[in-house]
Amino acid sequence: MDLTSFAGPFLPEIVLLAGVLLVYLLDVLKLRSNELVGSIAVAATGFALLFVVADLGFTPFALLRTLPASSVDPTFSGGYPLYAFTSLGLVFQAIFLLATCLVSLASLSRPREERGAPIFYGLLLLATLGMLLVAVAADLIFLLLAIEVTSLATYLLVGYTRRDSRSLEAAMKMYIIGALSTTLSFFGASLLYGAYGTTNLYAIRAIGILNTGAGAGSYPVLVLLGYGFLIVGLAFKATLVPFHAWAVDVYDGAPTDVTAFLAGGSKKMGLFAFFLVLLAPILFVRTVASGSPFTTTQVALGPVLQITLAVLAVLTMTVGNVLALLQKEMKRMLAYSSISQAGYMLIGITVGTAPALAGATLQIFAHVFMKGGAFLLVAGVSAWGIGPLIDDWKGLGTRRPLAGVAFALMLLSMAGVPLTVGFVSKFVLFSAAVQAQGYFVWLAIAGLLNSALSVFYYARVLRVMFFEQAAPNPLPAGTVVGGSEPPILPAGGFGYGRAAAIGLVVIVIVAVGVYPQMVLGAVQSAAQHFVNFGA
Amino acid sequence: MTDLPIVGFVGLSAALLAVGLFGILTRRNFILLLIAIEIAMNAAILNFVYFAAYAGGTPGLTGQSIAVVLVGFGATEVAVGLAIVLALNRLKGTINVARATELKL
Repeated sequence: MDLTSFAGPFLPEIVLLAGVLLVYLLDVLKLRSNELVGSIAVAATGFALLFVVADLGFTPFALLRTLPASSVDPTFSGGYPLYAFTSLGLVFQAIFLLATCLVSLASLSRPREERGAPIFYGLLLLATLGMLLVAVAADLIFLLLAIEVTSLATYLLVGYTRRDSRSLEAAMKMYIIGALSTTLSFFGASLLYGAYGTTNLYAIRAIGILNTGAGAGSYPVLVLLGYGFLIVGLAFKATLVPFHAWAVDVYDGAPTDVTAFLAGGSKKMGLFAFFLVLLAPILFVRTVASGSPFTTTQVALGPVLQITLAVLAVLTMTVGNVLALLQKEMKRMLAYSSISQAGYMLIGITVGTAPALAGATLQIFAHVFMKGGAFLLVAGVSAWGIGPLIDDWKGLGTRRPLAGVAFALMLLSMAGVPLTVGFVSKFVLFSAAVQAQGYFVWLAIAGLLNSALSVFYYARVLRVMFFEQAAPNPLPAGTVVGGSEPPILPAGGFGYGRAAAIGLVVIVIVAVGVYPQMVLGAVQSAAQHFVNFGA
Repeated sequence: MTDLPIVGFVGLSAALLAVGLFGILTRRNFILLLIAIEIAMNAAILNFVYFAAYAGGTPGLTGQSIAVVLVGFGATEVAVGLAIVLALNRLKGTINVARATELKL
């Protein structure tokens, strides 16, 4: 294998790594300006995104392809590799890169006097590198180590300011919980290795389907415990109830741009890890259901996992939404709403059919824009002296119409109002659950009820923003804007980078909401390939 | 090597994991927390070594190499933890986890 044939498929990852090295080189050379380092991060993620989109088979970019069409969704003959390029994996790579690109674009507008820009962008790119590797993982250990690349970078990212005791406390909490969840995941992986004699996810899938494994039949307890530990470990990463308590504190304490990355990026990585790890047992059930000679013990695993996941999904949606209703602070409300959204995404994995997976992927895509954009906007308005409470947003919609309308669009999309991307994703997801019959219909109903519930707290924010009068002098003296009636600043008052990022978010929310075919087809065929893949 | 007592060995690593988890849940000193995390991590590593011996042959090699990688990974994780604890100690003068109460649960 020569260098080009190895470097080719990994070109997006190499571009990111080069970006990281360049950022740290500039740091050593004392070139630490936020704009310079930030534009390197934006460029690196932008180029990587172009390559990934080209690999997905998007014709206008055909020249940029880094891997031949034949090596996407390959069939395995003779041995299972460490990594495999699936089209769903590439879709997720694109989603991850979009999240990082938005965050680094918005962070260009961070205050000029703030220190630590190289640390911030370097860690951001490193975390994204780990996420890209998660998307191509085909081996359990490769997957868990890639998750750790991201986790280690995000622990430091949360506490990177080092002077702010709130964000350091958040970093500490995230580290302890993260280390705990890592340990549980690796313990689960070790039990699965003991049961199957391999850690390759696709080999495990084949063993389950063809039943040629040595240990699987003889120690079903190992398999069950192994998947149990893995689910708990990954549930921490994906912030599923009851493993969610850390997330709200961390989202609250972290610098808000980092929160946007955590909610829009690294949490989605945990959910994709769920896709990879759990589809083997759940698909196994679907294959078995169509009539084949397996014993009860071998078949029992899938339904047990499905019911566990269904319970987790309903718990996550409901608890997240109910707690979001009770919050008084904007960031904590968004954090709880982010937790409840993870419940919707879990429905797709529980059902395990191709349309359901497509729905979950769309939901994740939508969530990157809605929630990531919302946190970026919250970070922007805090520079205007608007406090952390929801009531501090009084009258924002009339004083700052651009920001108000953008935020309103994001909230409406989260609530699933038609003509937004949030409606499209929920529609695809819930209709797939209904099509799957059985108790999955109840999952769809629970999802719909929860969507209705979530409208209450989104509507409350809208009411505060548009229909309540601001306090007489909401801005303390010395903020960027002066006077009692602040003028509209250039680019909506956010600075150009953040305004561009938020504008992009708004365009995607509306464009995909009105014309979903743009992404629907690609996601659906990717999910179909993923379900058939290697089986 | 298939005559190894599987229940005994998995029981041993499960006990190690339990010790580690207990430490993570009860310790308030960050350094002791790190030690507890490492104990729990070693339970997983021990499992890999044991199952490698149990499987033998080529599948066994996988387990042994994974164990080596995980030892390295554990060191990395602790390094990050120590970085956080250093910054925390410099800022607050304490490494007691229970004192970190600015963010309400």
